[in-house]
Amino acid sequence: MVSRLQCLAIASSAWLAFAQVAQAQAIENELVLITPVAKTLTDPTLADFAAYAKERWNITVKAHALAAGTPVAYGRILEWKGRPDADIFWGGESALYDKLAEQKLLAKHELPAAVMDPIPATIGKPKPIYLKDPKGFWTGTVLEPYGLVYHPKLLQRLGVPVPKDWDDLLHPKLKGNVAQCAPSRSSSSHATYEVILQRDGDEKGWAFLKRLGANTGIFTARSRDVPSVVARGEFAAGFAVPSYMAFEDKLAGHDLKFVAPRTAWITPEPIAIIAGAKHPKAARAFIEYLLSERGQRVAMERGVFPITPKFRVQGAPGSRAEMAVEFTGGIRSYFDVDVVNIYDDDKAQKRYQEVNEQFRKDIESVWAQLKK
Amino acid sequence: MTGLRLPRVGVAAAGFSLIWAFLLLFILYPLTRIFYDAFTDEAGIFTLANFAEFFSDHFYLRSLWRSLLLGVAAVLTTSVIGIAVAYLIIRFEFPGRNLFSYLTMLPIILPPLVGVLGFVYILGRAGTVNVLLMDGLGLEHPVNFIYGLQGVLLVETVHLFPLMTLSILDSLSKIDPSLEEAAQVTGAKGWKRFWTVTLPLTTPGYISGALLVFIWTFADFITPLVLGVQDLLAPQAYLNIMQFVDRRLFRMGIVISALLVVLAIVFVLAARQYVAIKDYSSLSYSRVERRQLGPIQRWLAVALLVLLFTICVIPQVGVVLAAVGRGWSLTPFPLHYTLEFFRQVSIETPKFIVNSFLYSGLALLLCLVIGVPMAWIMARTRAPGRRAMDALTTLILAIPGTAIGIAYIRAFNVPLPFTDTALTSMSIILPLVLAVRRLPYTVRGSYASLLVVHPSMEEAAANVGAGRLRTFKDITLPLVWKGILVGGLFSFIMSIQEASATIFLTLGGWEMIPFGIFTFYIAGSQSQAAALGVILIVLCAASLYVVNRVAGTRVGGLFG
Repeated sequence: MVSRLQCLAIASSAWLAFAQVAQAQAIENELVLITPVAKTLTDPTLADFAAYAKERWNITVKAHALAAGTPVAYGRILEWKGRPDADIFWGGESALYDKLAEQKLLAKHELPAAVMDPIPATIGKPKPIYLKDPKGFWTGTVLEPYGLVYHPKLLQRLGVPVPKDWDDLLHPKLKGNVAQCAPSRSSSSHATYEVILQRDGDEKGWAFLKRLGANTGIFTARSRDVPSVVARGEFAAGFAVPSYMAFEDKLAGHDLKFVAPRTAWITPEPIAIIAGAKHPKAARAFIEYLLSERGQRVAMERGVFPITPKFRVQGAPGSRAEMAVEFTGGIRSYFDVDVVNIYDDDKAQKRYQEVNEQFRKDIESVWAQLKK
Repeated sequence: MTGLRLPRVGVAAAGFSLIWAFLLLFILYPLTRIFYDAFTDEAGIFTLANFAEFFSDHFYLRSLWRSLLLGVAAVLTTSVIGIAVAYLIIRFEFPGRNLFSYLTMLPIILPPLVGVLGFVYILGRAGTVNVLLMDGLGLEHPVNFIYGLQGVLLVETVHLFPLMTLSILDSLSKIDPSLEEAAQVTGAKGWKRFWTVTLPLTTPGYISGALLVFIWTFADFITPLVLGVQDLLAPQAYLNIMQFVDRRLFRMGIVISALLVVLAIVFVLAARQYVAIKDYSSLSYSRVERRQLGPIQRWLAVALLVLLFTICVIPQVGVVLAAVGRGWSLTPFPLHYTLEFFRQVSIETPKFIVNSFLYSGLALLLCLVIGVPMAWIMARTRAPGRRAMDALTTLILAIPGTAIGIAYIRAFNVPLPFTDTALTSMSIILPLVLAVRRLPYTVRGSYASLLVVHPSMEEAAANVGAGRLRTFKDITLPLVWKGILVGGLFSFIMSIQEASATIFLTLGGWEMIPFGIFTFYIAGSQSQAAALGVILIVLCAASLYVVNRVAGTRVGGLFG
């Protein structure tokens, strides 16, 4: 009868030991992202992170990305009310992260100073673009401009000169040939609408946007569709496209060109740990990885720019990184150039609904008349 | 003997209650939740303001009007094609008749998104046809075949006319030939006979086909969105629901979904005026004598069908080309070919295919466990509420998937009793919602075949001493397995293709093929989306082949 007691003792101590091992484990073996960042950027980073975790801690991490547009991702985090089904929110506008933090739906990332300090607080003039949250809830991960795309062969056929700035999309021969996404559906489109409105003032800005609507051949359901339909040659030019999305179509073998006009908004693609995350250690490790040279290099091969002046997009001749540099206009780091920014995110977020509403009233619901 | 019967009654009552509990919990409760949301504001206080906003907004009203218009137009186009094809196939003999009758079902298995993408590749502004026209004829601007309402109508017609054909086939093959002979004798010939005798007799089948076409078109949001048409009701519901930041738009999305449900119910009730209770009285299909067509007519019929099916395979051809072509743009056909995309979506990430089989298989299991007893209750008992069950199964067919998806998110996003996990965080929600959506096919299939087996056969077996189990095994099962199999397989095929409800509920790691198609598409990887689409089409075509071997084209009764 002693044996039974012994068995129990052994079993319980074994269990305790196991629990301790589990406790001592550097990171959890699972990680879930909710993100508007396209698969083509999330998949390679998650895959390389899994490899890194295996090398460093000998832990096999199952990492998923839950693809959702910025508004959806934000909405789901709200609906989860602190019991999230994802650990990390990545991408979108930093103002939304501030809103989530106010509602206590984000956890502080508490990354070491060695990781955070190389990231400058802001970039750009006259308006600063914030690259990290002074309160420590979110940090930028990569830099990427929202520009425009065009199909060179189709433009040539139409006899339209290569666009350099937003205004070039108003060319009369581009009528019915511009693709864009409604600002209520896409954060890149919304930000670029604001760029135009803040550049020209409300009155002239809306006049511009109406003329753009008149040239528009399709309002796509998502911003990611804009470069796709242009790459295929269905439409000749696209408005408000994140650089890396266009670059993916280039990598897929399409003849597509990207231009970041001087006033293009540059997003830091914020990232944060969601409060109540089931895998907080893995989440923190992923952010730390993403900000490391290894993580930044993987991202830089996809058409985005480093978040710190420490790195520059560079690779062997003919490499993907070099293709990206050529595709995005020869820039290797936004810290090498003077970044012009006229977009004020606070102002944009304060009138978020009004802009959507006016778009709906003045453009979407009278689109048929505008096109005439 | 009474002592023996009682427990059986008890078991039956328990089963009956369980089925009702399932229906109430997973169909009615989530739907009421949508209505609750539609009639309250952010603070949860009752209000009519949401509906007032809808009905005072020109854009929404125009969307409603255009949705109704599109639905009616789709019923018209599918009627013309569907009736013609059904009539040709069932009444006349011509070369390739059997092949055509199988081909008729093919468009149904075009997964959402895949069909419209295929069309874009062939008929888009940079599609094969336009490129040939521009390069060959020197056309300056592409012809706009598809961007706009006309394109949506084209895609829906090609996709849905088979529903009409199958429903009509079902009715046509039940018409007693003697009725038509009588008409012939009394002088009604040719068209007159068709108009005055044949057509009215097919009305019930036609109405149920028309209802399905109308509601399907009405509720489809993916096709219009790809074709840049946003001023329709279903795309508005989807786009607004996807707008969580702007809470007012989000609330309007729910209101529109509620409206879609109400309209679906109204249409079902209206249709019920004509098809009171599905009539299976002469379910034993009559042997129809097929007439030989004259030589010219025969080739005309074949030419017509060949033309029709050429249009029907446009999406498949487009999708296959997109799946194997690399960097295809502004050339009639891709210049570079690769199998890379297939490798990526199957070998590299097998989860889409694995999950599809897992969740659709579980859904099928649920459908059988719930649906076969339901059919039995409806066919063999006088249990109270069986008519309500029948009405409910028809209603499920009519409720837009989007609305169900949203209803589930709203209703089941609370921790389950005694746990701190919500149903929406558990992957079981996928097979659940699939089973609910596709239950009617299993119920209809089983119901129809149960009616064919007259209870007297079972009684006879019992009289000669066969026990209940033996009777079931030797008499009932051999007679009904076909119907159950066909109904079940249809539930499976339609589950594995479902996207509209699951799009809202899928979490990381649960992705099925249609969700994969959708995420690849929105991530801009159209080739991968196309490759997954091809895989899904092949899977469904194989399942459909089995259905066809077992049941012929007589699956029309499943839809009504």
